[in-house]
Amino acid sequence: MTNTTLSRRGLLSGAAGAALGTGALTADAEAAVLAGTRQGSLPAKVDVVVVGAGIAGLVAARKVARRGHDVLVVEARKRVGGRVLNHRLGHGDVIESGGAFIGPTQTHIARLAERLKVPTFLEYNTGNSVYVSSTAGRMEYSGTVPPDPTILPDAAALLAQIDAYAAEIAVDAPWSHPRAAEWDSITLGEWIRSNALNADGVENLIRCWSQPGFGADPNELSFLFTLWYVACSGDEQNVGTFARNSDTANGAQERRFVGGSQLIPLRLAKKLGDIVALKAPVERIVQKDRHVLVHTGRGVVRAKRVIVAAPPPMVLDIDWFPRLPVRRKQLLRALDMGQLMKCDAIYSTPFWRTAGLNGFGINDAGAARAVFDNTPPDGGPGVLLAFVGGSTWRTYGVLGKDQRRQAVLEGFAAMFGPQALNPVDYVEHDWTKERWTGGGPTAIHAPGSLVEFGPAIRTPHGRVHWAGTETSTYWSGYMDGAVRSGERAAVEVLDRL
Amino acid sequence: MTLVGLAPAPAVVAAPAKWETSVFAKVPAPGFPAYVHAHTNGRVYAGTYAAVEPGTPSRVFEWSRTGTLLRSWEVPGQQAGAEHGVQVANQTRSGLLVVLDTSTSTVRTLNTKTGRWRTVAHLPGAVPNYATWGPGGTLFVTDYAAGRIWKIGRHRGTKVWFTSPALEGAAGFGTTGIVFRKRERDLLITQQTTGDGGGVTPTQGFLYRLPVQRGGRPGALETLWTSQPTDLPDGFGIGRRTGHVYIALAGLANQVVEVDPATGAEVDRFPDAPMSGDNGSAVPFDTPCSATFLGTRILVANQSAIQADASHQAILAVEVGEKGRKPFLPRRPVFVR
Repeated sequence: MTNTTLSRRGLLSGAAGAALGTGALTADAEAAVLAGTRQGSLPAKVDVVVVGAGIAGLVAARKVARRGHDVLVVEARKRVGGRVLNHRLGHGDVIESGGAFIGPTQTHIARLAERLKVPTFLEYNTGNSVYVSSTAGRMEYSGTVPPDPTILPDAAALLAQIDAYAAEIAVDAPWSHPRAAEWDSITLGEWIRSNALNADGVENLIRCWSQPGFGADPNELSFLFTLWYVACSGDEQNVGTFARNSDTANGAQERRFVGGSQLIPLRLAKKLGDIVALKAPVERIVQKDRHVLVHTGRGVVRAKRVIVAAPPPMVLDIDWFPRLPVRRKQLLRALDMGQLMKCDAIYSTPFWRTAGLNGFGINDAGAARAVFDNTPPDGGPGVLLAFVGGSTWRTYGVLGKDQRRQAVLEGFAAMFGPQALNPVDYVEHDWTKERWTGGGPTAIHAPGSLVEFGPAIRTPHGRVHWAGTETSTYWSGYMDGAVRSGERAAVEVLDRL
Repeated sequence: MTLVGLAPAPAVVAAPAKWETSVFAKVPAPGFPAYVHAHTNGRVYAGTYAAVEPGTPSRVFEWSRTGTLLRSWEVPGQQAGAEHGVQVANQTRSGLLVVLDTSTSTVRTLNTKTGRWRTVAHLPGAVPNYATWGPGGTLFVTDYAAGRIWKIGRHRGTKVWFTSPALEGAAGFGTTGIVFRKRERDLLITQQTTGDGGGVTPTQGFLYRLPVQRGGRPGALETLWTSQPTDLPDGFGIGRRTGHVYIALAGLANQVVEVDPATGAEVDRFPDAPMSGDNGSAVPFDTPCSATFLGTRILVANQSAIQADASHQAILAVEVGEKGRKPFLPRRPVFVR
């Protein structure tokens, strides 16, 4: 049932797959979309206020509005998309500074993109990958077998075990597994060290998956949370597997969106028009017997129901009356956003392709631990992308931009040659500095929190309902999870209106 | 500020062939689905009718009509140390789910809007299995453990309404599906086995007809169809156009059988060959337990009761080429809140 074939490229590319990651709406068109949002004062009264104009919030708003109810989406930023953000390279080329990839079983984001006429293209995956080892040096490899024999046996065994455990996890209630307390009491790192012969080696490899995928190291992740995340990497017909989470071919990094993934929330926002209000951060939510008052930076709106579709830690910044239930508050306090930034170097051409390389590489040290070909679909300009997450972010994320740029480019050069040292441009995006996200790509559970507080994740608080990718039962942390969560929250609210 | 004009363009899809089967949704742990309820709100519900781990509470799952898992509810107050499970057996017209709990032998309601549970009846010693609404807003419940049908009535409360040796199962395989046919004013009932010699062998099951007389009393039990040995007929659905009964065979056959209740003839069986359960989908029939209409498909709860293979515990959608008869939902059920 589960594919235990080990793919080094897959293992590492998984990192890229989470909600952050890399189509085309011109700047003018985008400005027009944003200009179409609500200007001036907010309405005094609507049926439903949605907090957050990321994919989850916009999907929820659309679904409720389509049933004829008055909806208002309030967004703190001056843009839509949340953790999905395009970056223009010029000449109409776009890369993503946030969530980018889509893969098999992510049918909800795929269906939404299709309806919004946002096509996808295959991530470049032709040629050899590169592995850089501090001990063995640089080597190119093809296929799915990692070149390091000291790591492969452990990795194969551990990943097979993770798949087997994950198949037992209820995606809607991971805390109900008979061994949930045991697994939630240890980190992924501890589990690796207890079960591997070459623990350092395989942990270092899995770090290359966890840093981009969670913005965290194995030592920061509850093992139960990790198993649940793998279990979520599927759908109602297909059990989640590590390979589907981590791989490019047949995995979560299989495709990208032409024009960039932010086209999806932008086109949703265009359809929603003045239902969306930007620059309206929510400061206070007051629940009365028959309505809710949502205090925003642009005024107070009265609603029958509220859907909060914001990253979990951001919810704590809202002044709640009545106060959030203790369990929910504890859950939110226990959830931390990952630490992640995306660093892209732009070249006139994807020169590595002519050398027979696919642009994917991993390095057991340095700033560029996991690297992807992030070139736009027309094949130019060439773009290399490094995910800098977890402990790698804590080392390099705190440096000055010039120092970090140099470290990242040296990492690219170690994989693809000295030509990588001379990009025509270099761009980076640090999600830890995003005021309204607080990190990325997703919120993570440290040991001890999922069993104790996890059951509160979707429990409504009076007239307030919860959306956001972290509340999804499949593809949590991904764009697909965001769509799913918005649809589910809308169902809850529609039942109660 | 309402929104219009977002409807997607309709897709042109070729009509599926009869018996074409797909996986509607896998059922998360604790698994073991035994019945699927297609709600009037357009969504689909199922409970977990068994649990391998003693301490694991049963759950009720909610899917969209396209199979997206939406929500779930943990069942409170179970005697989770013993065998326990729940069946989402029916609903009220107002939308409450009617849930049968085997560990407490109770009938409960679940308000999916609020998550509130309420116990509405206690059936002492029973293993409640399936439920159908009947005349006067009464609820009939089959009892898998004993040869009896319970009635939850308005005035006389809960009582054993019908007993018969024909409902006494052999080796614990008892009474399963029950559906009230308003036009015929009768109950169709499936029986997995009988110990009373009604079959050629004790392992043969039946489709019975039991009239509900004007005064509310049961009429004479009539056999409409007799299964093959070890078929173990379980839950069923009734086709609207043909009146045929589609019965899941939870026994060794691992098939769905189409029966014409007017003649007692078997119209078809799927798959053609018994045993393997090979239905062409990614999940073979493995203790298929019920057949609930959703459009022109029947949703089959695939329990994998013997193998306990979690990868087989799923809801399977089987095209049958006709819609189902609308379930009877009384205006004033005996419990309305």
